[in-house]
Amino acid sequence: MPGIEIDTVSKRFGGVLAVDEVSLNLQVGEIHGLIGPNGSGKTTLLNLLSGYYDLDGGTIKVDEHLLNDKSVQARVSLGVARTFQKPKLLESLSVLDNAMLGGWRDVQTGFMKTALSVGRTRKEERDLRDRAEEVLHGVGLGHLVHEQAGRLDHAEQRFLEIARSLCMRPKYILLDEPAGGLTEHEIEQLAVIVTTMRDVGLGVLIVEHHTDFVFRISDRVTTLDLGKRIACGAPDAVRNDPEVIRVYLGA
Amino acid sequence: MSGLSKSSLKMPVMAVLLVSLPFWVGNTYQLHIATLIGSYWVLICALNLAVGYTGILSIGHVALLSIGAYCYAILSGTYDLSPWFAAACSGLLGGLCGLLLGLPSLRLPGFYFAMATIAFSMMAMEFSLAQDDLTGGGAGLSVPPFPPPFDSPEGLYWLVLGFAAVVSFLSWNLVRFMWGRAMIAVRDSHVAASSVGVPIFRLKLSVFTFSGVAAGVAGALFASLQSYITPETFVFELGLFFFVCIVIGGRGSIWGPFLGTIILAALPELSGSLAHWGQFFYGVLLLLVVLLIPEGVGSAFVLLKEKLRPRKREKQVVNPDLQRLRAAIALQPSDDELAIPGQSGSSTLKPFKQRG
Repeated sequence: MPGIEIDTVSKRFGGVLAVDEVSLNLQVGEIHGLIGPNGSGKTTLLNLLSGYYDLDGGTIKVDEHLLNDKSVQARVSLGVARTFQKPKLLESLSVLDNAMLGGWRDVQTGFMKTALSVGRTRKEERDLRDRAEEVLHGVGLGHLVHEQAGRLDHAEQRFLEIARSLCMRPKYILLDEPAGGLTEHEIEQLAVIVTTMRDVGLGVLIVEHHTDFVFRISDRVTTLDLGKRIACGAPDAVRNDPEVIRVYLGA
Repeated sequence: MSGLSKSSLKMPVMAVLLVSLPFWVGNTYQLHIATLIGSYWVLICALNLAVGYTGILSIGHVALLSIGAYCYAILSGTYDLSPWFAAACSGLLGGLCGLLLGLPSLRLPGFYFAMATIAFSMMAMEFSLAQDDLTGGGAGLSVPPFPPPFDSPEGLYWLVLGFAAVVSFLSWNLVRFMWGRAMIAVRDSHVAASSVGVPIFRLKLSVFTFSGVAAGVAGALFASLQSYITPETFVFELGLFFFVCIVIGGRGSIWGPFLGTIILAALPELSGSLAHWGQFFYGVLLLLVVLLIPEGVGSAFVLLKEKLRPRKREKQVVNPDLQRLRAAIALQPSDDELAIPGQSGSSTLKPFKQRG
């Protein structure tokens, strides 16, 4: 069955069990919300999934491919893309350059061929540029294509990072607190973009503190507390789960 | 990439000036200096990809220059082989040494790698001193010229100019396409680079090996220009000089370090009667650049323009165009495509499908 299968994974930092036998699955065409109090292991789980941390236990599979000791880069070619809490952009480059960087997995011309500028280099460049421009217009940054990325405001940087991830032709996309620091209006735009990604068939995993936003757009929601999964299911069920209310949502 | 395309007029003017230089330059000494700058540039231009674009802090490139120089001197002098063959071997050996130095040390973070390159340049120096039957030891080696017509000062200048043009062209291609973006990603954020799939180590190794080849070739040209080389020719300060040219010129551009090289190499000559102040000016310049324009002299014009006419950007509401977004993401990868167990590289991937 296609999808991301996280099966009883654990991660330990010194004496702290940051993620404790958590299981979660993400299917294509679904938005899966991941919520929980600070320090509950949400971002750690994301880092395990995208390969920045090594697992201390359990397995992670993407479309039946075991990811456990695959490099960050290998996960990209399996169609897993992500964004970060604080956008990781190349501030000295243009918005377009940043988005185009997402097309790296489709670069076929090697180092020497590029140096000689023979073969498909130019064609490849054009194709990636076209794709990046389409995606940028799609997320609403069309008017900023040639702006320097470092001059964008916070929300624009977030949308640019999403655009870069989309240029990676992902099948699954992991968003780490995409609504952080966004205004109400910008969160609306984000919701529209995220649901569009789902509708087109991507699997979207969202780590988010903005619970209204998560419950509204998610198809399923998983809640973590102290590294353990305490609830998983439809948004309404999770929202009314007494344990979730006790540790996170409050009465 | 942005900033390079605007220079459409700069290029032809520059080419005419450089090619005709032997005709308008004052005397043979100045021509010698121009040739020297050219052979430095062969090295610095490629080193700039490592230092300025990829953030590989190599201070010891003088070692690769000396390896190329000795290789040329020994093969074409001691063994009387064709200078062209010798120069090609210099490039290959420089690249090989770059590769061998890079393999164990390019995983080290910035300053530790810089240390490794310093150690390497010391070893190269000691080696050339100790192996006197090969390198002539402290007494040095005389270096044969290139065959006619490249044995005259003008001929050698044009030869160096040709090599400089080739290296500049290759470097320019590397930085303006995807590899250039990947280099800057590796320099600015390893997290961003790996998150899009850039094979960081392989990229660093490619760039560093390329800079090694260029340094080896530069060594052959440099040796032929000097006509006599000793270990003293390749002092550590020369390696530092290459590095500083790039820092003063500004990272992330080709023009900047080019200007930096010319300014720094010509400075001691221009100070004329104040020659013994040369090092002093050098220091003052470095200090001024670091304090006033840390992005390098190449960025000075941009900064000035910005100061005089600050661009104001009107805040525009981000407004997604869902039709286009849907079309743009609809290039969904098919399952068979995903079945490829992608290595960290990208060469195993099938071509991406076009929208539509």
